[in-house]
Amino acid sequence: MNHCNRFRPTPINRRELLQRLGSGFGLTALAALMHDPAYGSEPGQASKADPKAGMPNHGLHHGAKAKSVIFLYMDGGPSQVDTFDPKPMLDKYHGKEPGEFFKVEATQFNNNGKVLASPWKFQQYGQCGLPVSQLFPNVATCADDLCVVRSMVSEFPEHTFANYFLHTGSGLQGRPSMGAWITYGLGSENQNLPGFVVVNGGLIPPGGLDCFGSGFLPASYQGSVFKPNGTAVANVQPLEISADRQRSKLAFANELDQLASDQFGTHDGIESAIRNYELASQMQTAIPELMAISGETQATQKMYGMDAAYEQTRIFATECLMARRLVERGVRFIELTCPSVSGDRWDQHSNLKEGHENNARAVDQPIAALLKDLKQRGLLDQTLVVWAGEFGRTPFAQGANGRDHNPFGFTIWLAGGGVKAGTAYGQTDEWGYKAIENRTEMHDLHATILHLLGVDHTRSTFRFGGRDMRLTDVKGHVVHKILA
Amino acid sequence: MGKFLWSIRCFAIFVVAYSSLDCLSACFQAEQPDIQPPPNAEQLEFFEKKIRPLLVQHCFECHSINASRLKAGLTLDSRQAMIKGGDSGPALVPANALESLIVQAIRYDGFEMPPKGKLPAEDIDALTKWVEMGAPWPNESVSVDSPTQQVFDLQKRKSSHWAWQPVQNSQIPVVVDELWPKNAIDRFILSGLEHAGLKPTAPADKYALVRRLYFDLIGLPATPVQVLNYVNNTDEHATAKLVDQLLESPHFGERWGRHWLDLVRFAESRGHEFDNDAPYAYQYRDYIIRALNADVPYDQLVREHIAGDLLTSPRVHPTERFNESILGTGFWHLGEWVHSPVDIRKDESDRFDNMIDVMSKTFLGVTVSCARCHDHKFDAISTEDYYALAGFLQSSDYREVAFDSMEHNRTIGQQLAKLNGKFQSQVSALISKVAPTPFEGIERLSPAQADAIPDPAKANCLIVDYAAIGPNDFRSDGELFGKQARHVGQMFLSVSGGKSNLEFSRSNVAASDHFWDVIKKQESDSPNQMSGIGKLPRSGRTLNTPTFELRNGNVQCRLQGTGHIVACVDSHRLIAGPLHGETVRGIPKADGFQWVTMNLSRYVGHRLHLEFTPEVGALLEVQCVVQGAGSEQLKTIEDSSATLSNQVAEYAKEIEAAVQSDAMARESFSKLLDDWTRERNGLQQQVQTTSRLAMAMMDGTGEEEHLLIRGNSSNPGRSVPRRFLSAIDGPDAISIQVGSGRLQLAERINSPNNPLTSRVIVNRIWHHLMGRGIVPTTDDFGVLGQRPTHPELLDHLANQFVADSRSIKKMIRTIVLSKTYQMGSQASSAAIEMDPKNQFWHHHPQKRHEGETIRDTLLSISGRMDPTMYGPSIQVHLTNFMDGRGRPAKSGPLDGSNRRSIYLEVRRNFLSPMFVAFDTPTPFSSMGRRNVSNVPAQALILMNDPLVTELAKAWATRACQEVPLDDQLIPNARVNWMMLTAFNREASDLELASSRVFLEKHATQNGLTIRDDALWEDFAHALVNKKEFIFQR
Repeated sequence: MNHCNRFRPTPINRRELLQRLGSGFGLTALAALMHDPAYGSEPGQASKADPKAGMPNHGLHHGAKAKSVIFLYMDGGPSQVDTFDPKPMLDKYHGKEPGEFFKVEATQFNNNGKVLASPWKFQQYGQCGLPVSQLFPNVATCADDLCVVRSMVSEFPEHTFANYFLHTGSGLQGRPSMGAWITYGLGSENQNLPGFVVVNGGLIPPGGLDCFGSGFLPASYQGSVFKPNGTAVANVQPLEISADRQRSKLAFANELDQLASDQFGTHDGIESAIRNYELASQMQTAIPELMAISGETQATQKMYGMDAAYEQTRIFATECLMARRLVERGVRFIELTCPSVSGDRWDQHSNLKEGHENNARAVDQPIAALLKDLKQRGLLDQTLVVWAGEFGRTPFAQGANGRDHNPFGFTIWLAGGGVKAGTAYGQTDEWGYKAIENRTEMHDLHATILHLLGVDHTRSTFRFGGRDMRLTDVKGHVVHKILA
Repeated sequence: MGKFLWSIRCFAIFVVAYSSLDCLSACFQAEQPDIQPPPNAEQLEFFEKKIRPLLVQHCFECHSINASRLKAGLTLDSRQAMIKGGDSGPALVPANALESLIVQAIRYDGFEMPPKGKLPAEDIDALTKWVEMGAPWPNESVSVDSPTQQVFDLQKRKSSHWAWQPVQNSQIPVVVDELWPKNAIDRFILSGLEHAGLKPTAPADKYALVRRLYFDLIGLPATPVQVLNYVNNTDEHATAKLVDQLLESPHFGERWGRHWLDLVRFAESRGHEFDNDAPYAYQYRDYIIRALNADVPYDQLVREHIAGDLLTSPRVHPTERFNESILGTGFWHLGEWVHSPVDIRKDESDRFDNMIDVMSKTFLGVTVSCARCHDHKFDAISTEDYYALAGFLQSSDYREVAFDSMEHNRTIGQQLAKLNGKFQSQVSALISKVAPTPFEGIERLSPAQADAIPDPAKANCLIVDYAAIGPNDFRSDGELFGKQARHVGQMFLSVSGGKSNLEFSRSNVAASDHFWDVIKKQESDSPNQMSGIGKLPRSGRTLNTPTFELRNGNVQCRLQGTGHIVACVDSHRLIAGPLHGETVRGIPKADGFQWVTMNLSRYVGHRLHLEFTPEVGALLEVQCVVQGAGSEQLKTIEDSSATLSNQVAEYAKEIEAAVQSDAMARESFSKLLDDWTRERNGLQQQVQTTSRLAMAMMDGTGEEEHLLIRGNSSNPGRSVPRRFLSAIDGPDAISIQVGSGRLQLAERINSPNNPLTSRVIVNRIWHHLMGRGIVPTTDDFGVLGQRPTHPELLDHLANQFVADSRSIKKMIRTIVLSKTYQMGSQASSAAIEMDPKNQFWHHHPQKRHEGETIRDTLLSISGRMDPTMYGPSIQVHLTNFMDGRGRPAKSGPLDGSNRRSIYLEVRRNFLSPMFVAFDTPTPFSSMGRRNVSNVPAQALILMNDPLVTELAKAWATRACQEVPLDDQLIPNARVNWMMLTAFNREASDLELASSRVFLEKHATQNGLTIRDDALWEDFAHALVNKKEFIFQR
């Protein structure tokens, strides 16, 4: 049989690993081992030119601007024309039939009303003069750190499709989430915590936990769902009455493992499983440490809004603080989901004013604090913060006072890790309905995020079902114009 | 079919009309040469100044012969090239901006070009103006041909890839070490090893082998007694006997059924936003367990999956007599379903994509779905192949079938028709003796003549007229409506409220019959169901129209009775708002016939059929369905119906009078009616009144699917006749007389000329037993998959499989009785050096157990396992971390009622965290080979999960009971029993010593004694955390 040169290198076994650790080679190998799928994955498209393509932990393709990503997921689709994309035409033609001015596309509820002016005033902020509405008075003070993209488009006007698309680059269930792709490609810098953490503030997006799944990638890469309270994560709390009692049991199990090693030899899977017990034990201490937010100074807690009158602000404040602490601990990808306010997620099919105000009230102060805190600690440069919903909202009303889903043009913003601060990129038409300049697709956003992390989206692949799969499918262009 | 095609048709009509008025016809048709009127200097200047720079700047990156990657097959380098167009047709219609795709595209109307942003208004105006001018272009020589693109050569690809080649009769190789091989498999393997200078490792010890066989064949550990029985058995056939015994175990089907469920993305909810129930999915799960236990020949299994609903003699359950075969078709429908898609046709094409993906990977090991948007990038699969297969789905429907009763009640239905026929002729004979003009009126009203809808009313609006419906178009699920329409004047027995009357049908209708009212109403067992349709009493109770294209938003149904109408548009059925509510319509109460109008204007240009369901206990008679009929047309139909109806009433009166006037006739007539009623009642007693339901296929109107350009459902191209993959079966369409043709498709998949089916299944069996397939990529035999390590062995097994009547059990038996399978799992370091990946099989690889197996093992050793088979799933246990829309109101029990894991509910959006951590796949596509990952969450589960600790505790309690301590308080016997239970081997002396030390130390540390169960609970939990617990040698 001919050697096809597609074999993957044999993972090192535990003894070898310990030897290498002794010689100072340990850390990356450890990270690699942590994510070693043992067997099961198909060899991908590795070639002489790109020997690591199609392999886990392929590492950087070029210099990285960011080490971590904090994804502030604005579930439900905040309205662009009420937040960061002011449109005076809406004031001028408020109450008029939208069909008189432009073609109204099919909507999710098919209950389209009149042109609807924004209930909020806009004001320019910072040296860059970025207009921000009254919904985000605190985030507005960070205007000079924001890179606002006003020309996002999605392919789907339904939540679930759009959520999967935003998270995984495909509208259908079962593809790996971007956090999974990123940990697959880069591994984690912290062995005691998962590489991809979702802090669930209360709202799991439509589409469910599979928005954070690893799809066809090994389970190692799936997002671990943390709660911003209590033990934070499942099964991390030993049930034994004392830590010693658990330690004693595990030491015995380990002893038996060693005794049986002549029967099992140096099987990769078993070696990795043994290592997992060490990691698991470390997680049992690392997570309580992570959650010890009370150790933060009063000033910091206050800045985030831990003392806010509104409970949902306090929840999101905890999430943002956890995000910073996770970044400090080298976690690769952190996603925060929104707390549940009265009147639904950012999905105001009616009562836009009340609903958007509640949602903004929950997140505005904590987000601003997060940006400032990261900055003052020198972390913002190496942390990419992404604020995005799955789509925007229609400039015309749904019913009397709501807005329906709008995938044709909406706003997201990025901050930190290598993006051009204090800019607005792209634009929608005069109604804020459709992107008409520098249309930016979801795949472009994904390509750009990967690029900032030092990954070429076309070379981070995994072979599945006869294809070398990518986060960006067969599409995606890095948006170079928003890079610093 | 999308709206777009319709607009093209309108356009075609428009063009013809327009060109006959004007003399521009030459420009409109691509096949005629374009004669450009010579442009004047001013026009050319406009082109050079405004248009050419615009094209260069904004279009040529993707639409030029010099483009690095040409998009949509469209070049814009010349006027001719524009007129020739690309995938979506001509881009330019000179002098007609409105119809020029290039203008539509830059206006963002349909297409959106350039994709990065709309051009400035002045550029759009300029290009529009230029097209209106007639698209003046200087006379220059430019090639119209597309740039050199890689040509898709199916034959070349076919001939150059191993998988498409016929299965060979492999020569069984000669080996040097004649003593080693036991069967042919061993010779293939040994020959490979010998050529590579390798040797097989020593055989597995008996303990390792018995554990391996139990887990591989039934997914459970052997009990201590079973282990010792085998180990101490000196019979040379002991292993073969054990294998036979395990293959006969009902647990076999549970173990291998779970493997199979991975292929068909089995789940019991629809995922998407609200994770609606996928009702009765567990019936498919039970079907596959039974089928595997019964060792149904694989070709039959394939046939049942593809077309089990179409078999003339379906396989019936040996004792319960229900239709097994139809349950196989449920696999088509186990995918994700979406509610309220804005683009309903796109949703359908996505659903079909998934169905084709799963079907082709599961049975053929090829990725046909990769050819949805373009010819396959690597394999001999064309886009036409994809759409040829999609046609089978376009011609099929979903239903929830009453599979228990369908066969029985079909027979009853046939007997009812016969019985009615018998009495109809007896009554006719009687009437003709006494009637004044023997039955003239009724005969005159034969369907061929008077009863069809009159011509003026038909014009362009008729969808279905039950007066003239063909036998192939009369479709119903169940027996309520019989198998044909009731024509006007036809006599029938009307039984209601215990009274029976002879009646003559007043119109031509598809009519339900009170005979079937004895069928009990099915209570839905899906608590998480938002679908408006799902709650209607439809199973086995619908009348379906043929599929038609909607041309007018108003669909008018003339009917009488009460019930519901469901318009099934683009096979969309998850009606849960906010959109598509108009596809379900209740029939308002009314006297006599009425028009019920459905407003379906949203779906003009789409394809749909209607499904009629009577209210439980009520009658429903459907006369005709029309679309967009004006009030005049409706009136014509009403008038003609009234005329017929009155005529029948007249005759009925005449007949009655004639019968009444003759005493003899009166008596005979009365006796006939009594007999008819009695026999009918007798037959009714035999109706099976209850039935379980299952999701299944149902044949629809035979249709060809349109090729969707670039996979885009709003951009349909030519239609593609239904056929199998052309690389296997040639390019000719299958000749299909009626319906979907799935049965013919099944025969092609099973055909001896198809080299894939047998290879794929034997490779799957090998994969599960040997830890890696001969083709490691079990679901992809294509170019991007891996090559077989032992192609001759693969073909040998494929041939043997066919020779052994495609018995899965026999194939398993052959493999596990080989020396190859029975090798030990310890490789020599020399072998690892030479063949680190064990490509040549010098040892049997160790395997990590799946999450389900780990849980089943815990249940088994703790003595808690409830071995009950089949039935509704145990609801998933919800932890605090499992959140999101559609979360069931109630959590299932932590211990899953101690049932085997295959009986635990699989909800797409609420998958068991334990199983997910151990790589149970997300159910979205075929996953013949699971990932085997190592993640700390696995350790955390075994350390801290409440279920694991609870079962470890139960196991300890059991150990304390089973093996009491003697007076000496020596723990060895109990320790040994526990090791035998968990690891199926005896404890070594070292392990016994080590255990004793632990027990003593741990007891002291925690204030316990050797007599305390609590100490043994900790001991048990420690054993569960020993790696050997989740691995097998």
